[in-house]
Amino acid sequence: MKFNLKALPVAISIAMAPSIALADDAADAKIAKLEQQVQALQSQQNASLKDKVKLNGFISGAYISSDNDAGYNSADTSANFSEDSKVGLQATFDISDRTQAVLQLMMRGEYDWEVEAEWAYLAHRFENGVKLRGGKLRVPLYMYSDYLDVGYAQPFARPPEEVYGAVPFSSYTGAGASYDVDFDDSTLTMQMFGGESKVKSTGTEVSNLIGANVSWTDETWTLRAVYGQAQLDGSVKSEVDVELAPGVITQADYTVLELNDEKGTFTGVGASYDNGEVIAITEWTRIEVDAAYPDSDSGYLTLGYRIKEFTPYVTVAYMKTQDNDERLPISVAAATQMLAFNAERMAYSLGLRWDAIDNVAVKFDVTYADDFGDTSGGFLNNVDSNTGQIIYDDTLIYTVKFDAVF
Amino acid sequence: MKTLFTVLALSLSAIVSANAAVVVIGNTASGDMSASDAKKAFLGKGDSSVVVYELEEGNATRSAFHQAVTGKSDAQLKAFWSKQVFTGKGNPPATVPSAAAMKSAVASNPNAIGYIDEADVDATVKVILKP
Repeated sequence: MKFNLKALPVAISIAMAPSIALADDAADAKIAKLEQQVQALQSQQNASLKDKVKLNGFISGAYISSDNDAGYNSADTSANFSEDSKVGLQATFDISDRTQAVLQLMMRGEYDWEVEAEWAYLAHRFENGVKLRGGKLRVPLYMYSDYLDVGYAQPFARPPEEVYGAVPFSSYTGAGASYDVDFDDSTLTMQMFGGESKVKSTGTEVSNLIGANVSWTDETWTLRAVYGQAQLDGSVKSEVDVELAPGVITQADYTVLELNDEKGTFTGVGASYDNGEVIAITEWTRIEVDAAYPDSDSGYLTLGYRIKEFTPYVTVAYMKTQDNDERLPISVAAATQMLAFNAERMAYSLGLRWDAIDNVAVKFDVTYADDFGDTSGGFLNNVDSNTGQIIYDDTLIYTVKFDAVF
Repeated sequence: MKTLFTVLALSLSAIVSANAAVVVIGNTASGDMSASDAKKAFLGKGDSSVVVYELEEGNATRSAFHQAVTGKSDAQLKAFWSKQVFTGKGNPPATVPSAAAMKSAVASNPNAIGYIDEADVDATVKVILKP
């Protein structure tokens, strides 16, 4: 048998050529797939590190001034850069798939930039969908309560004072549970809360705070209802000017009312519409407190229209105490309560939100408040503490503000 | 005449498909998705086992996608997520820089969904919704 050895390699290589080519293709495909998997694993690993701890923050800087010293949102005729300026830093730790810890620290110009935990809680989502949270939480009375200080997520320069100024505390220590019911195109959220709080400005203790809210949204329409109640205890103090001698004025705490575990209730309804262009937001609230502490109704309607990065808006808001007959000036104490608590006013705002650059919105707002009736309009500074006379019967407030998130 | 109509119809369909833009993609093993489930997924609601990927902010495909599926503009979406983040309700989905990265992220995880321009679709992923 004669074998052409010379021809053999040629024959082999001819026979192998397609399979080598095939093997190359297969290897290439395999390598490409492996590369893809490595990339995916890497991004998953990076993601899981990033997922465990998240840091976010928001910052607002505001200039406020007024045409007089009535004291709307603490504004006066000189420029105020503190009242609505704030910084918030939030850390979210994922302890497990279902458990997380959230800490939100806030510093407000209004409180001399003192660091405070606004949210500090542990949350757990059970298999059945119930989410339980415990710690320091926001009192979810209003539509914007949960993100009251995150101006970037709000269309206006500030939530209307007439409504949002009615409850003098915004967080509580305790627990809350929420449950989402998912429909085809919308979500119903039910929330319950309970705990205690304290009014920073007056030192009033808020105990046995309980409540519930329900809201439904399809991301265009949002409808909401809320009820809450609490016991209020302690003295309601007010800072007054005392004239020690002619021209020598000192400030002193004056106890306007002694609260003795009085029951207070809060009822509110709200609705909003946002189709991407047209924005409409409305809320109405009623507060009732036993004894001479004021019962008040309040409400607002905001309408806005987005034109690219500009969103002009108008707001009409009102508030009025409903139990002025409980504070008739039959004694000095009652007369003081009448001056301190009786309040009514209308407020009209014209504003513009400008989404100037990524993650930064600039807002301009002019608010005019009037119709104070026989009252101070709800501004303690608007009463002459010596004569008991109301000083101003209207006020105009200018606001320029930036809101950023990071 | 008939050929003329065919040519016209073909060129029209070519124009339409050139404009067809964004599609929701899933792993090759995944089933179709409803528009409402997609809206929920991209707003961090609904089934929490779904892993959502987004293109980065400023990407035109991202804006087109959200206009079609969640109905939110870039600014609205940012405001929405800042609300969710600062109320502890959730964080925005992970982002990927390109259609290629989107495809590899979705291809490597059976629970992942994302979106790309229809022109970028290939065999590694499956179109699960044409919004």
